[in-house]
Amino acid sequence: MNYTNYNMGPFNLHVIKNDHFKTVKVKVNFKSKLVKDEITIRNLLRLILINGTKKYPSERLLSIESENLYDLGYSSVGIISGNFSILSFELSFLNPKYTDDVSLNDYIDFLCEILFNPNIHGKKFDTESFDLVKEKLKNTIESEVENPRKYALNRLLEEMDKKANYSFKPDGYLSDLEKITEHDLYKAYEKMLNRDIVDIFVIGDVQASDIKNIFNQKFLINTIKKPVDTHFIEHKKFRVRPKTIKEKRDISQSKLYIGFKCDNLSLFEKQYVSNIYSFILGGGPDSKLFKSVREKNSLCYYVSSSFKSVSNLLIITSGIDKNDYRKAVNLIKKEVKNMSNGDFDDNDIKKAVITYINSLEASLDSPSSIISSYVSNEYLGFDLMDERIKKIETVTKDMIINFSKKIHLDTIFLLEGGDMNETEEI
Amino acid sequence: MKQKKFSGINLEVFSETLDNGLKIYVVPMNDKHNIHATFSTNFGSIINEFIPIGENKMARVPDGVAHFLEHKLFEQKDGIDPFTFFSDNGADANANTTYFKTTYLFSGLKSFKENLNYLLNYVQEPYFTDENVEKEKGIIDQERSMYQDDPIWRMYEGSLYNLINNHPIKYPIIGTKKSIYDITKEDLYKCYNTFYHPSNMFVVVTGNVDPIETINIIKENQAQKKFPAKPKIEVKKYKEDRNVAVKKQEIEMDINISKVALSYKICIDNLKNYSLYEIYNYILYYFNIKIGQTSLIAEQLKKDNLIYDDFGFEINDIENYLLINIFAETHDPNKVVNILKKEVNNKLIIEEEFERKKKCSISLLLASGDNLYRINNKIMDNIIKYDDIIYDDYERIKNLNYKDLNNIIDNISFDEYSIFIINPKKKDAQ
Repeated sequence: MNYTNYNMGPFNLHVIKNDHFKTVKVKVNFKSKLVKDEITIRNLLRLILINGTKKYPSERLLSIESENLYDLGYSSVGIISGNFSILSFELSFLNPKYTDDVSLNDYIDFLCEILFNPNIHGKKFDTESFDLVKEKLKNTIESEVENPRKYALNRLLEEMDKKANYSFKPDGYLSDLEKITEHDLYKAYEKMLNRDIVDIFVIGDVQASDIKNIFNQKFLINTIKKPVDTHFIEHKKFRVRPKTIKEKRDISQSKLYIGFKCDNLSLFEKQYVSNIYSFILGGGPDSKLFKSVREKNSLCYYVSSSFKSVSNLLIITSGIDKNDYRKAVNLIKKEVKNMSNGDFDDNDIKKAVITYINSLEASLDSPSSIISSYVSNEYLGFDLMDERIKKIETVTKDMIINFSKKIHLDTIFLLEGGDMNETEEI
Repeated sequence: MKQKKFSGINLEVFSETLDNGLKIYVVPMNDKHNIHATFSTNFGSIINEFIPIGENKMARVPDGVAHFLEHKLFEQKDGIDPFTFFSDNGADANANTTYFKTTYLFSGLKSFKENLNYLLNYVQEPYFTDENVEKEKGIIDQERSMYQDDPIWRMYEGSLYNLINNHPIKYPIIGTKKSIYDITKEDLYKCYNTFYHPSNMFVVVTGNVDPIETINIIKENQAQKKFPAKPKIEVKKYKEDRNVAVKKQEIEMDINISKVALSYKICIDNLKNYSLYEIYNYILYYFNIKIGQTSLIAEQLKKDNLIYDDFGFEINDIENYLLINIFAETHDPNKVVNILKKEVNNKLIIEEEFERKKKCSISLLLASGDNLYRINNKIMDNIIKYDDIIYDDYERIKNLNYKDLNNIIDNISFDEYSIFIINPKKKDAQ
């Protein structure tokens, strides 16, 4: 595996040559400072761009073209990464070596068609496409609440701090959506092309210089680059007494979410100590939480913890019977306390480290995971794989105890379901 | 030991059947950084009545027993949790139960020999007690509740329930609250002793391994254990009628947008000249062409705001039926169903579209060689569905042709279907 980074002026090009894969993956990231009012329009934008172009003016025609290119896969996502909004456009295709009649140029043309030749008339997006994706996004936002786990997590984050970036809805807001016009969307498109910071990642059995030449020729944007702020969200206020919120919902299983804010973590802690801590506490079926809440007390099917490095949050979640709420919360609190009391041993650390290394090595089999590691290197200053394997070994018990002192319980949210003796339904 | 290449992808399968009947399949993929090992029994949720080993009468076991058994094999006499063992070695372990099989698995490169031996050992050393069986009921019931809250899952299970009259695919894999609480230690042993004999099981290993060494590890492991003679397994046969059990059902859930499933029960008795592989694939192509992403009907439904992105279909097969479930999220379920029904019944297929879909299948096949999980799953699926590995997918796909596609579609009927609708619950003023 060989990594080359080109500064192409308006964009950065990262090429990872890897001859283990028969497919090539391309990820184009447009990154801009997060503004709550722009979340919705940026989502609409990424949706309309993959919904058709001038040459292939409908979702169906674009899709047919992708099938002609040996089932090229294409997609777009919008995420919130701390203080930034990132729109990603992804392409995944069979290496032209294995096809009879297409070349790398054809694939990159497809990408450029999506990004640079949208279905616009004057300074407006095509009305029919516009209405279609608007309905699509409306549907996505409306159905968000239908997933009780997603809804409960969202509610927890809102209760923790509804002004914080991490509590914003990544899909956007209906109230903003209603106001957007075809012309507004065009303005957002122009803004994205001119103002966003652009990084392109390519992985596959390709020559870096070929990729550079192709993008040099075809990827014609002219963004003005500005110094970049940090992605990380630092918390300023910590609750002395945790907030407890319960909300009723017509579901059979209650969803419990517990949020902690982390204070003043070092980059090393964010990358390594947090990982080991969360693995021991609630990282899998061998974790403290799983053993206590599920195995010893039969209160749940799932219970786990996860650390969000960019927003400096630790989230614990479980699905329980509402009558077990108090018991489950107490067990979870107890396990968290045990961690800060140092109630775990070197073997717990050892297996967390081995698991970390194993999954890191296994991620070398996945083009997406390799790209992710270069993305977090570029955006967050996180170490690359080789470095990670070395550094994870240096995590000590004291570091973990010290880390656990920086975690502050903030909010407990229960999406309360019905009683468990509901009638049997199929 | 047998050694045979897949066509199209540059991979080879090493296979052997041991004296005790256990089948082993190993695919070395030496540029990978991981190993995926699965150990499966041909015992899934659809077996609920059989002659237990050593008995002579059919016995009915509670629904959900295969899944319950999967949970309980993680209970060991020495008190060591298999998850702890694998976690000590940094490996990921898990298990799952489907309608057709139960699989125990791990992935991880380090300590492979130890992990593989342990996988065989814990699955082959059951330890069920009244107490540990009782303890699991709360956990499994929480798992069931979790699925109950998922509208897509409810629709999927509801559709199968309505399509089927007798065959146990009618019932949820996990069972019902009552059946879960009815399960006893004796039920588990009865099923275990009958279906976990090595002759009813198979191991598939894919990834960075030495095939000969892998087979030898398993051989040595099995040679140290005693098993009863290979049992003759007798499972109740169900005669499934052509007609669907329930034509239409509507339920309510706490959702905002209605969900609908249009499900077909397709009898394939008229297609004796074709293999299941061909029938399955041609019908998959048919639905893909008629209602998939590149179909005119999907485009029209989207333009009319009748469907959004949550639209698709899946296919299952039992005995002489294929079961197709088409799902959509919509504000007008009945209208969507009528449009889809009309399109499915219009058997006109454009040849160019069929050829394009074939190109996609070939591309997917070539790329599958990159992924050790996909290769492992392909082998397991083949064994469950065809009782053997399909080595020549490449030629088989190339040989699929427009004439046979039309012939097959002409000889099946889409008259038996069932509709399942989930409507938003009327909300109280809050």
